[in-house]
Amino acid sequence: MKPLERLARPGFLLGFSIVLFWVICALFGGFLEPQNPYADDLMNALAPPSAAHWFGTDQIGRDIFSRIIAGAAPILSVAPAATFLATLCGTALGLVTGYAGGWIDALLSRLIEVILALPLIVVALLVLVALGPSSLNVTLVIALVFTPIIARTVRSATITECKLDYVPAAQLRDEGALHIMFVEILPNILPPIMVEVTVRLGYAIFTVASLSFLGFGIQPPSPDWGLTIAENYGLIVGGYGWTVGFAALATASLVVGVNLVAEGLAEAFG
Amino acid sequence: MIGRGILAAVFRRGALSLLTLVLLSMVIFAGGQLLPGDVGRSILGPLADARAVAALNHQLGTDAPPVLMYLRWVGGLLHGYMGMSYAYRSPVAPFIGHALTKSLALAAVTLVIVIPLSIGAGIMAALYRGRWQDRAVTLGGLSLTVVPEFVSGILLILVFGVWLRLLPISANTRPGTGLPEQLRHLILPSLPLVLILFGYIARIARAGMVEALDADYTRTATLKGLRRRAVLFRHVLRNALLPTITVIAAQTSYLLGGLVVVETLFRYQGIGSLILTAARGKDYPMMEAGILTVGAAYILSAIAADMVIAALDPRAKAAQR
Amino acid sequence: MIRNGLPPRKPAAELAHHIRDEYRAGRLSRRQFLSHAARIGLLAAAPARAATLGRPGATIRVASQVPAGEIEPLTVSEIGGLVMLCQTGEFLIMDGQDLILRPSLALSWTPNADCSVWTFALRPGVKFHDGQSFGAADVVATMDRLSDPKAGSNALSVLRGVLSPGGTKRVDDLTVRFELDAPNGNFPFYVSSDNYNAIMQPANYAGDFEKTFNGTGPFRLERYQPKVGASFVRNPDYWGRKALPERSEFLFFNDQQPQLLALEDDQVDVIVQISVQGAQGLLRDPDVRIIDFPAATHRQLHLRCDEGPMADKRVRQAIALSLNRPGLIHGLFQGRAKLGNDSPFAPIYPSTDPNVPQRAEDIAKARDLMQAAGQGNGFETTLTTERLQEIPDLAVLVQNACGDIGIKVNLRIEDGATYYGAAQFGRSDWLDSPMGITDYGHRGVPNVTLAAPYLSHGAWNAAHFKNPDYDRLVASYIAAIDLSTQRGIAGQIQRLLLDETPVIIPYFYDYIAATGPSVRGVAVSAMTQVFLQDASFG
Repeated sequence: MKPLERLARPGFLLGFSIVLFWVICALFGGFLEPQNPYADDLMNALAPPSAAHWFGTDQIGRDIFSRIIAGAAPILSVAPAATFLATLCGTALGLVTGYAGGWIDALLSRLIEVILALPLIVVALLVLVALGPSSLNVTLVIALVFTPIIARTVRSATITECKLDYVPAAQLRDEGALHIMFVEILPNILPPIMVEVTVRLGYAIFTVASLSFLGFGIQPPSPDWGLTIAENYGLIVGGYGWTVGFAALATASLVVGVNLVAEGLAEAFG
Repeated sequence: MIGRGILAAVFRRGALSLLTLVLLSMVIFAGGQLLPGDVGRSILGPLADARAVAALNHQLGTDAPPVLMYLRWVGGLLHGYMGMSYAYRSPVAPFIGHALTKSLALAAVTLVIVIPLSIGAGIMAALYRGRWQDRAVTLGGLSLTVVPEFVSGILLILVFGVWLRLLPISANTRPGTGLPEQLRHLILPSLPLVLILFGYIARIARAGMVEALDADYTRTATLKGLRRRAVLFRHVLRNALLPTITVIAAQTSYLLGGLVVVETLFRYQGIGSLILTAARGKDYPMMEAGILTVGAAYILSAIAADMVIAALDPRAKAAQR
Repeated sequence: MIRNGLPPRKPAAELAHHIRDEYRAGRLSRRQFLSHAARIGLLAAAPARAATLGRPGATIRVASQVPAGEIEPLTVSEIGGLVMLCQTGEFLIMDGQDLILRPSLALSWTPNADCSVWTFALRPGVKFHDGQSFGAADVVATMDRLSDPKAGSNALSVLRGVLSPGGTKRVDDLTVRFELDAPNGNFPFYVSSDNYNAIMQPANYAGDFEKTFNGTGPFRLERYQPKVGASFVRNPDYWGRKALPERSEFLFFNDQQPQLLALEDDQVDVIVQISVQGAQGLLRDPDVRIIDFPAATHRQLHLRCDEGPMADKRVRQAIALSLNRPGLIHGLFQGRAKLGNDSPFAPIYPSTDPNVPQRAEDIAKARDLMQAAGQGNGFETTLTTERLQEIPDLAVLVQNACGDIGIKVNLRIEDGATYYGAAQFGRSDWLDSPMGITDYGHRGVPNVTLAAPYLSHGAWNAAHFKNPDYDRLVASYIAAIDLSTQRGIAGQIQRLLLDETPVIIPYFYDYIAATGPSVRGVAVSAMTQVFLQDASFG
């Protein structure tokens, strides 16, 4: 089967449609929202789902349905940006350590292992405690913690490539190290990088949502789903589950969708 | 039996790990120094007099040069002394111990649920390779892995805690509650973790099982006339278990310190929340001790996993001979 | 000699006649009369009414916030810690939920003619838990510690400028004289339970309160576990009526939700303090007894008066007019709050002038004011505040309201510690931001809240408000002892602040606690203190 045909499995298609739906919400949310996601209506706070408000209202009366749609944009801008940045840095780092070998490899590998010995979320939190929460800082922090992971994968792939003939051949031709790494090796290791990147994107969304939940990410009054859950999960006990349930489902659907796409890509090109 | 070659390898591994631990302690300490804010001010609050703040900083030793503070800290650690909490003015070790116990309890409940479940699922997926059971386990498991803990936690709370009222929502129990009741309160918090680990372990178990099923020694054993069941049990199960141990060891740092999201959602004071609270409150000794504990646990579990695998892996033994 | 332009002081006996006349003339409610009389020590010797008491011997379990640090009377500054202090420690005077002062370790108190010296008679026969007798020497030592800037006590925020070390003098073993830095008509509140750090300690106190919880109170410490909980047992040698409960147990919680669950699951009997946000379900539960009374807890939305578009008071008034205050109270507190009128004079204070018109939402007028101030096209600014209870929601609502009058407000919601920073000008987001929301706890009198946030050199003056008329009025309010004088000055202050609006105070919200359905006799104060000596079941 050709790769593209291998892609068209039900899992991949389902994931792709989910992601596409949320991307459309992120880009064109303004047209899809029935009401202003920021407009408060204090007299109508914490109203259960009804015809007027399909998903109910939150603690200051904002329409939850509109906020769910509007909430796709924050997470779909921060997570991909962070993943992209991590990919750039991680690929460069992995190529260098894999190709150079020797003490550079040993040193950097040890440093990577040190960072990975700690739970990623803790590292992210501590950096954010230091820098202060904001969308930009979250992007940088996630890029920081994902770079070693991507670097590790790229390093393994690079080492495998280096054993193949064309690398010593290029060295014999006196090609510079940078040239060999980025022009010769890189194109050959793109498929595993692509798969890794898609998987990382899923985790980036996971981490952004978690950081928002802990209060370190995207800031109010953003309709970001993680933030919505953080603001409202105390209300579950009082019987106001709709304030968090829909945001939870939205987040779950997005991450599962991205992961199904990643899996599909892995099966097709891996 | 662990042969000399294995022992030497573990030794070398141990030395490297020690190096990692030292590097870790430096990174942690440097990180703590970079956190903004004044320790004395954090403790005394925004309304305290500036002179009192300066006096407290001097008393706590936070105005000494960083290198000196680092050496003091390491020196203390080597004597088994984890430092004095800035906020509570009492030794850090009991807080860490208490929080670690709670995290270990949650991790234990999680592992007890997830290991049989996922290994069973992985083996079933391998046995029904290619069929819908396989795809369900693989794809389903992998999808669940990326769902954030608080998301699945919220949905689980809404279904099992609020709607069906089957499980208690709070992870905490009054002191003096019996162990079974305490464990019951930990089920709901452990489920998000179970969902996350399930995909990993099931997939690894499945891969190990597939490899073992196809391997020479399985066919040899079957040819020798052993019943398929016996073959599976003795040789193949061991092979599914080995990579699982690696995965669990790799997830130790997550299972202990990375649960801060679950701990926040269920208000459970494990070591992840302890680190976060300490960082927010500028209680550096507490924070640094907590992170170091988690890092050290990870490194120790990696070594332990290596040793267990070395003891169990038939290929290693074969290489030895 | 004329003292800052006010009529000469009335001697104490004449004062008594004066407030009785006010009461008879209907200008004071009964509660206000009692409160005022108690403050100047007129009721001090009156015996407490014997209440119908419940059955003794219960164990009362309480859910409380986890103390943020060491339990040290000097430095405690948050709910978790102060609840611990008042279990075994006692104050000279008790300030109950009705703002009426009652004798505790002090039997009576009288001011001199200008309220610069107060003489307190102490209760005889009181012993500390460690066996020492309580006397004037202990009061002197405790107050000196609390008022000493070098000791860095949290109480300095209350006592600075009022009482200094050495100002407390022992007259004899049972009499203490306070020589104040400046005349102060409300001084008894400063040594009451309002000043939650001011529990009486022995003169030889060595700084180890957390180990012993040594005090004079009806309970003594059984066990304290940091971050976990504490338990107390009845003190059989207490000077007053012995505590009804045999034991009390405190469980510490980091958040509200587990406390609510614990009450519903019958794991605790009392929750010390509840915020409406998140407790909406509990407040509707018929099996829970809600204790709800008005308090002076509020939020201050400060607007910088010294720079930027808000330096023009018309802009500040416009912002104040853009808020729907009844809506805020309905949405954020389910009605459990009182309207704020942009001054610290809460409706519960007897000295508040009730005749000052209440500000209400008026978008049209707000827009006109913006035009008149030359800001017809609006401007952009940043609102910085802390993540605490309903404050982030309030910030969003302020953002929306300002949007209606053309002001684009960006939000920065930070950790409490980050918001307060070093709590000094130039090193604190709180004090340096153009717009911010700060939480202010309840106090029995508005003295502290009138001073630090508003005075020209006030340490908490985030609005950078500098108004000599205001400074003068506050000084005379603080020195006034006569209620009608206080009220007259209050009225002037309220109108001045309504005009200048350096700070918007949209509401004063109620103090709320909860108990199980069969719990009786739990006493609480709006300072979030809980007193269990008369608690029982059934």
